[in-house]
Amino acid sequence: MSYEQIFLEVLKTLSPEYILLIAAGTFIGLIVGALPGLTTTMGIALLTGITFKFSGHAAIALLLGLYVGGVSGGSLSAVMIGIPGTAANAASVLDGFPLALAGQGAKAITISRSASIMGTLFGIACLALFTPILSDLALQFTSAEFFLIGVFGVMISGAMTGADLPMKGWISGFVGLAIALVGIDELTAYQRFTFDSPQLTGGLPFIPIMIGFFGIPQVVSSLSSEQEVLVAALDKSKTKLMEVLRHWKVALRSGIIGVGIGVVPGIGEDVAAWVSYGVAKKASKHPEEYGKGSIEGLVAAETADNSCIGGALIPLLSLGIPGSPPAAVLLGALLIHGVRPGPMLSFEFPAFTYQAVSWLLVATLFMRFMALGLARPMQKILTIKNAILMPIVAVLCAIGAYSLDIRFLDIVLVFFAGVLGILFNLGKYPPAPLVLGIVLGPLVDVNLRRALKASNGDISIFYTRPIALFLLTSIVLLILAQLGVFEALRSKFRKTRESTA
Amino acid sequence: MEASTRRLRTLDFFMGTASAAIGLYVAIEGYAIYVAPELATVERMTNPGVTTMFVGSALALLGFVMAIIGFIGSKTPLRNARQAIPETLRKPAFLRGVIALGCIAVYFFVLWGRIPYVAATFIFLAGTMTIFKAGAWWKIFLISGITVAVVWYVFGVLAMVPLP
Repeated sequence: MSYEQIFLEVLKTLSPEYILLIAAGTFIGLIVGALPGLTTTMGIALLTGITFKFSGHAAIALLLGLYVGGVSGGSLSAVMIGIPGTAANAASVLDGFPLALAGQGAKAITISRSASIMGTLFGIACLALFTPILSDLALQFTSAEFFLIGVFGVMISGAMTGADLPMKGWISGFVGLAIALVGIDELTAYQRFTFDSPQLTGGLPFIPIMIGFFGIPQVVSSLSSEQEVLVAALDKSKTKLMEVLRHWKVALRSGIIGVGIGVVPGIGEDVAAWVSYGVAKKASKHPEEYGKGSIEGLVAAETADNSCIGGALIPLLSLGIPGSPPAAVLLGALLIHGVRPGPMLSFEFPAFTYQAVSWLLVATLFMRFMALGLARPMQKILTIKNAILMPIVAVLCAIGAYSLDIRFLDIVLVFFAGVLGILFNLGKYPPAPLVLGIVLGPLVDVNLRRALKASNGDISIFYTRPIALFLLTSIVLLILAQLGVFEALRSKFRKTRESTA
Repeated sequence: MEASTRRLRTLDFFMGTASAAIGLYVAIEGYAIYVAPELATVERMTNPGVTTMFVGSALALLGFVMAIIGFIGSKTPLRNARQAIPETLRKPAFLRGVIALGCIAVYFFVLWGRIPYVAATFIFLAGTMTIFKAGAWWKIFLISGITVAVVWYVFGVLAMVPLP
């Protein structure tokens, strides 16, 4: 398809109907993101049910608007009540809330908004630039590479998100892979783990599991806590754009970090924000100001978590591998609406990447105008008790899951996925690898066997092809690094040097 | 060792053991699939038991390692669990959590599908908000009523979902 045709396709999906949907999605996303207890991941999962009957591309435009609004919406509550609306905004609390308590709440919101916009635009630019390149590279991938990249995705997601031990992240990922095995096998039509139930032959549906896994634990933990919410007052001060642009170096570095982390499967916006915050603090001339209302710190956190949106969509659209949990749920939504992300996307829907870029740009524009306007009404909404909000969230979880396939099994799945989520939270098992495991399960399953069939059972196919060898080496090095092998070797080498000296 | 870390490692021991057990089950099922007579004509390499055994074995191994880490970290996991369980059961936060989960379970498994959706959802909302002292009774009824009306309209009318 020529660039002219792509341009015309993009213009078709910027009709008033699409603009309205993107605006609605961004608005809903800002509210969902701002409310602690609702996450962007949950919002996308819930809205997927409602948009089931929309035309494919219209639904995706709405969900992308929600993604953009959700990630930046969390900074509203981070600044105003010191509780991040989503995990992605946890780092923003450190400097946003102190600024608000010092009577500069409006300034903090303006700065976080501007940083969000800069980050989102940077991420979108990288998405437009790198997705076609990665898609072309992915066309050279065979089954061996796809199998290894699936395993690599689960392993690195587990290693990077396992706050306590990487082993927990890996267990989480393999539980996800095991869940993905349920149903009819794609290659042989054999039924695995269906227990003779016709309802399980199609496998365990992804969206209800996500809704239950993220939603129910949040409802239960919010209702079990009796924490009072302190809302900082919003002043009427105005912040000049120059005051934000003064920190352009921090913003650029954070944008790069955000995109870089977004590209790595399954890690997501929260890690991007924390890593960027840590790097900015180390590189700062005034690190003592961090945690006390540093504008630099706020810019670093917000730019990174928003640029991660574009970064997470790069592997999603080019390889079919989501770069973050919200992107993982978006993958489910894309598949429901007949859009298959991956190397074939450029053949089936050649203009889709650019259409997504245009929707994200429109959503960013709406975010710019809506966010500030929402700040004062959100002050009132954020004082709503959990005892009122959380039962409503539980109702939305149930109807959101039920509306997809209109069957009671999905309600059962929401509940049991919720119980699993509660256990995971108690044991400090990260949720992102499980999401990735479920999403990548079919990719890993089918491609392992296809690769073995293509090579007639010769496993050298996994280490003789250059890209496969690179991926296999990365997996091995990752495991060794997380098990402390390199640390042990380094300290042994140091001791040997000291003893010979 | 800090008490909280010991407790976490105790939980790690049990969750690791459970993961190992699940992994072992998946791996054994994978082997059963691999040698299933219905798949005798299928090429070994494309047999669905291959990935099943791979995933199950990996999960069993990881679970086993986690259980060992938990055992070493907690030293006496069974004794720690015997001490921790009664303490946890007495905590108000735990009880509130159990009640919350119980309310959700009642909504999903008792009310859903047995009485009309509007009534089931209203009962769940009003009941849960009352239990968790959301406010005055009329406020609870008003908020529950409005929520049910909005959800019914958005899902039942706009999205045309056939509500139970």
